[in-house]
Parts: sequence; C-alpha cells; structure tokens
Amino acid sequence: MISAALFYGFSAFIIIFALAVLFAPNPIVSALSLAATMVGVAGLFFALGSHFIAAVQITVYAGAVMVLFVMVLMLFDLKKEDAVSAMYVRFLKISVAGVILGLISGAITLSGFASNTTIMSVDTASVTPTKKLAVLLFTKYLLAFEVLGILLLVIAIGVVSVSRIKGGTHAKS
Amino acid sequence: MPSLESISQIGLNHFLYLSSVLFVIGLLTVLMRKNLIVILMGIELMLNAVNLSFIAFSSYAGDVHGQVIVFFVMTVAAAEAGVGLAIAVAIFKKFKEVEISFFQKLKG
Amino acid sequence: MNQDAFVVTVNLIKMAVIFLLMVQLVPILVWVERRGSAFIQNRFGPNRVGPLGLLQLLADAVKFAFKEEFTPGKGHKAFFYMAPIIALLPGVLAFGSIPLSIPFTLSGDGYSHTFATQVFDLGIGIVFVLGVSSLAAYALLLAGWGSANKFSLFGALRASAQMISYELALGLSLVGILLCFGTFNFSEMIAAQEVPLTFFLFGKEYTFLSFLPAWGIFYQPLGALLFFVSVFAETNRLPFDLPEAEAELVAGYHTEYGGLKMLMFYIGEYGHMMVASALMATFYFGGYTFPGLTVVGVQEFFSGTLQIESANLISIFTMLVFHVVLMTKILIFLWIFVWVRWTLPRFRYDQLMDLGWKTMLPWAIFNTVLTAVFLLLRGV
Repeated sequence: MISAALFYGFSAFIIIFALAVLFAPNPIVSALSLAATMVGVAGLFFALGSHFIAAVQITVYAGAVMVLFVMVLMLFDLKKEDAVSAMYVRFLKISVAGVILGLISGAITLSGFASNTTIMSVDTASVTPTKKLAVLLFTKYLLAFEVLGILLLVIAIGVVSVSRIKGGTHAKS
Repeated sequence: MPSLESISQIGLNHFLYLSSVLFVIGLLTVLMRKNLIVILMGIELMLNAVNLSFIAFSSYAGDVHGQVIVFFVMTVAAAEAGVGLAIAVAIFKKFKEVEISFFQKLKG
Repeated sequence: MNQDAFVVTVNLIKMAVIFLLMVQLVPILVWVERRGSAFIQNRFGPNRVGPLGLLQLLADAVKFAFKEEFTPGKGHKAFFYMAPIIALLPGVLAFGSIPLSIPFTLSGDGYSHTFATQVFDLGIGIVFVLGVSSLAAYALLLAGWGSANKFSLFGALRASAQMISYELALGLSLVGILLCFGTFNFSEMIAAQEVPLTFFLFGKEYTFLSFLPAWGIFYQPLGALLFFVSVFAETNRLPFDLPEAEAELVAGYHTEYGGLKMLMFYIGEYGHMMVASALMATFYFGGYTFPGLTVVGVQEFFSGTLQIESANLISIFTMLVFHVVLMTKILIFLWIFVWVRWTLPRFRYDQLMDLGWKTMLPWAIFNTVLTAVFLLLRGV
C-alpha cells in the first residue's frame, strides 16, 4: 500500500501544474508546467514500483520531448496571447469535458475496484520487474517492438524532410 | 459521503480518479487553447493520464504487461510530438502563424 | 524511534552531506583549474592569497557574495531566478545515487544499524542518473530565455541542442557495459569488477595477467572512450563549450548572471563533472575497489597492526579507506577534464554536430553490436 501523504502530495503537485498548462497565457510557462507534471507522474510511477518506466518517463518526456517543445517556442517568440472563443462556445466545451469527467468517475465508482488497496508485488527473489519487462518486450512483444523501430525511422526521415521546407525566417517575405 | 478509510487507504480507484482528472484537464487544453503547440501539449497530458492508469492497473494486478504498453505509448507519443512540432515549424516559417483556426485556410 | 522516520532522517542527512561534499569540492577544483592552466601555459596562476594560493577561492567567494544583485530589465524574473537553482539539482540527485564506499555498521548496546554510503540505492541506478542529468537542459534554457539577451538565448539553444544530441551517444555507449554486467545497479557492477580479469570464448576460460581486476575498461575500451567524450559534451566543457564561446557569444547563457547566481551555475557545472568522473570510475575502473585491497584485509590492518579496539571505529575507517580510493579515481578524471580544457581548441558548431551524429553515434551502435556478438560467442 502507498502512504496517503505521498499520494496526495504528488496528486496536488500534478494537478496544480496541469492546471497551469491549461491556464498559463505564456506558452513557455505551459511547457515548463507540463514538464513538472511529467516529473510528478514519474514520482507516482516510482511509488507504484515501476522504477524503470519512471526513469524512462523522466528521460524521454521531461528530458527530451519537453525540451524540444520549449526550444521550438523560444524560436517562435510569440508575442500575442491566445484568442478567447465566444461565451457559449466555451460553455459548451467545458460542459462536454465535465460530462466526460462525470462519466469516467461514475464508471470507476460503479466498478468493483474500490476495495483493492494492496499492490501485488511483481518481483520475486530472482527476477526483478525490469528484467521481466525486458523479457516480455523481446519475446511476446518482439514484433510490436520492431514495428515501432520502423515507425521511428520513418518518422525521423519524415520530420527531417518536413522541416527542411524552404522559406520562412530566412527567405524574403 | 466517502468514509475516512477510503480517503486514507490509497487504492487503485484513487489513481483512476487522478488519471481521469488529468485526462479531462488535457482535453480542456486541447479544446480551449488556440495555440497549436499548446494543443500538442494537451495531447501529451492526456497520454500521460492514460499511462498513469495503465501503471496503476499493472501494479495493483501484479502484471508487467501494462508497463510494456506504457513503454510503447511513450515511444509513439515522442514520435507524434516530433511530427507535430515539425509541421508547426514548417507552417510558422511560411506564414508566421501558430493559431489553430488559421490552419483551415490552408489549401493544397 | 519509528523505523520509517529513522530511515527518512538518515537519508536527509546523507543528502545534505553529499551536497556539502560537492560544494566543498568546487573551490578546490577551481583552484586546480587555475593553477593547472597556469602550469600548462607556463605561468604562475593565483599564488598570493594563502599557501599556494589556496585561499584565493575564499576571497573570490566573499567577492561573489558582496556583488550587486541585478536582474535584466526586460527579462522574465521568475525564470531568471529559477535557472541557477535548477542547475544545482541534477548533479546532487545523480551523485546521491552512486555508491561512494562500502556500507559501515554502527552497533552498541541494544542497537545495530548498517548505513549504506549512498543516499538511495535504486535497482535502476544508471537509468535514473541519465534521467535526472537530462533535466539539466532546463536550467540553460530558462537562463537563456529569462535573460532577454540574444547572446544568452543563442547560448541556451546551442547548449540544449548539444545536450540532446550527445545524450544519444552517451546512452548508446553505455549499452555495451550494461550488457557485460547484466545489471543497472551500481553496487552489483562494482561487485562484478572485483574478480580477476577473465575472458570467455566458446565456453573456454582464458585468464591473462591474473593480477589485473575485471575492470570494465578491459572489456569495453571503445565504449569507455565514447562515454568519456560524450560527457565532455554533456558538461559543456572545452573542446565542446560552444554554448559559452567567449569570442562569439560573450558568455553564452550566463552572460547576464553575476554574484552568487553565477556561482551556483559554476557549482552545477563542476557537479556535473564530478558525476561524470564518478560514473567513469564506477563503470570502467572498479568503483571504490582496488586490486589487493579487500575489506577483511583493511579491517585486519586496523585491528591488528594499529591495535584499534572499537568495532565501530574499524568499520568507519574501513569505509573511509575505500572512499579515498574512489575519490582518488574521481580526482584523476577531474584532472583529465582540466588538462583537456587547456590543451585542445574549441570545435566549430557544425563539426560538433558532425562528430556527435556521424561519428560517435555509429561507433556506439557498432560497439553495442560487437558486444552482443561477443556475449553470444561466450558460450557460458
């Protein structure tokens, strides 16, 4: 079981920074808050015992993807704030989100998970969870893993070709 | 009214509630913000919420398969962010614009 | 006392000790750097304040503390203040997860506790270190953006692009050594390096020069070289210090910083170097172990030759001996950092990127494949 203080502390951290992503007028503040949210989520992963995934979350999300976001935003140097939609549109959007939240939490409440408070330990004396994850990744999910590798290769080539489009900041406007 | 025990005893459903709140915040970010890059961030937030629920399920069920899925989701999310940012940079270079409603004026 | 509260308190004290250790090493390193550069360039260096100029850094620290506190007028204040603090964190967190010596035991009437000389022993040691050190890019980006200075921003963008690029080569160069040891955990790696050097091929055992320990460097010479070069780029040191190339960018991302905030960036940079040196020692040079130096042997030396009675004292002294071994290794690598800085000229930015992507990355992949093939042929 996870100590309540730990869970509520991390939850407060995550939700405050997630709200900052939503409400910060400056996109760079949004991006940095998102990075903090991801570090908080990684903390919860640690608490849940998935140490490897937690470290990967910090390395990949907070360390690489969000740095990319921040760098792109700094290159853009946006001066103007986000436009705000009309009142009834905003009301519609918020109510849709509220309905979805209600549906999900209703489903969670009605399902029988409420009583489950013990974490099943994955690791036995000889096999650590990380090793178990690796074995699963390279046996049962080998095809998915290889396909993912090809996807990444295709995307790397695609991204390079898209971002080499002529014009823009260096061309005559 | 939830009992005191259900507040102090952290179980799977606590993580699921947190995950759903995080998901809805991400959804609202996608819906409410106009900046293309902030919208991409909202998508990342939603993916993180889903990852959290996967890891919670995996831990409480004692099953590593959830972690494998999270691993895949992270990889795809990183790739998706790369493509999204590349398109945003390409369009910004050409039109100096990142507002999402501008994108509907683009033609072949 | 409650067991949990005891563990938390001990860990907090350890964290503080690690932080103080890093902060205390910085003045010595700055002194080594200035005297070392003078030695290499046939000058004297700082030699007026105190013996050998050792107190120069104390004088400098006082000067730093009394400098005017200023912020750039158009900058982003919060980012500007956050950046130096974030610069400190990764080094301390990463250093905390590296074992600095063998554990020691304190016992008395009614209690006995073994203290690991490591703040947190995570099963995934090295992945955690890579994760937290990748967060260092934020300090540079925030400093660059918060300063509202185009040189700062250029420096920050250069630095973060460089760090992301070399992280790939860094991570891949480590895969070989991880395959050899079969673990992410630092303590297990060090334990694996204590045995004599043996090679396996097709199920046969070959022992060369049996006085040599099974240090990682003998199995992974290429990996060690790639790792060492990548950490130079990760720490933004010469020959890869493009982010603060004085001739082009004034001082890069810390152009607008002065006084104690500047000092915090310095501590962060030297902290990175210490982590890199400690990792180098742990992966490739046996950590805190040394051939011929066994725990039992050292304990017998203290109890037999020096006639020390108290078991607690013997335990602490033994721990200190192994700590000194590790520190010596770390200091040797830190000296190499200084040596390289004052010997090699700076790369051009395109040369830096070419080296990272077209040379280091393919060689790191080659090293990984080669290691995997040899492990397959090992036949054990």
